[in-house]
Amino acid sequence: MKRLLLLLRNLLESTENRIGFFLLLASGILFLISPQKVGLALRENVGMAINILLLTIVAVIISAAVERFVKAEFVERYFHGNRRRHLLYATVLGILTPGPIYAIYPIVFSLKRKGVPNHVVVSYITGQTIIGPARIPFEVGLLGVKFFIYRVILSVIIGFLAGFLYNLSSKVLPDRL
Amino acid sequence: MKMKSINRGDSFLESSLKIFVLVGAGILFAIALSAFVTHDLIDALKQRISSPVLILYAEIIGFVSPGPRYIIYPFLVKLKDFGLGAGVIVALISGHVLIEPSTAFVEAAFFGYKFPVKRFFISFVLVFLLGLFTVFLTDYVGWRIL
Repeated sequence: MKRLLLLLRNLLESTENRIGFFLLLASGILFLISPQKVGLALRENVGMAINILLLTIVAVIISAAVERFVKAEFVERYFHGNRRRHLLYATVLGILTPGPIYAIYPIVFSLKRKGVPNHVVVSYITGQTIIGPARIPFEVGLLGVKFFIYRVILSVIIGFLAGFLYNLSSKVLPDRL
Repeated sequence: MKMKSINRGDSFLESSLKIFVLVGAGILFAIALSAFVTHDLIDALKQRISSPVLILYAEIIGFVSPGPRYIIYPFLVKLKDFGLGAGVIVALISGHVLIEPSTAFVEAAFFGYKFPVKRFFISFVLVFLLGLFTVFLTDYVGWRIL
């Protein structure tokens, strides 16, 4: 028992593990509130959860490649600094990145490690989340080509603006160093 | 609160493992929470309310609906069939993915709590304007987007 407590304490020393533990706990509470609803949702989404985890592995591999092959000069040239065009590059890169929202975080983490500023990361995340290659069949098939093209154009604008506004807001409310 | 970041001093493997723990827990939480998003919430969109308020509702529903992005498409087709405008659909689809509760935790762990908070407010305002702009294009200029 003592060993188990010690192991748990060691595990919870990391912020990420603490958050993971909190999410598990919150999921457990939701399950206790309505075991039927949550149980059904879990059963229906097992395949989707496995898919996301598999795509996360792909994203980790991509991030390892970014880590290994993307030179600091490339990042310096295209994403570093305060130039507005970097927001545009990051947005377009985000739009072109496949994978679900959870799976892009390893890539985001890699970019951050390479010294990419937070507002450029915001443009990347916005571009990736608002639209992406995986959405093409859904949007074109269900809502039409015009709708998809309209959304692509809007996504470029929104990604750029999100990074720009984030940078402005950081002057009032700075990020942690 | 002083937060330790996964990008300080950890090896790539350690960081990747932490990401898997977070992603796994995030998925579980998202699925559990999505079980509570009922059709009644979606039905609220059908009611006759003004476009800006409808866009706000769509955004909020999108925000509180966690889960992968393709889950929302069946809803979108239904809403389209019910005659809801492109502005509302754009707001819902964009609000659903820009930021959500489970990813906010992941982002807080990476960048600190201010990052998701600022990103949420900026995304919220931008998606609202996006919805209004789409309403303007479809209802006043006469573009047929859907």
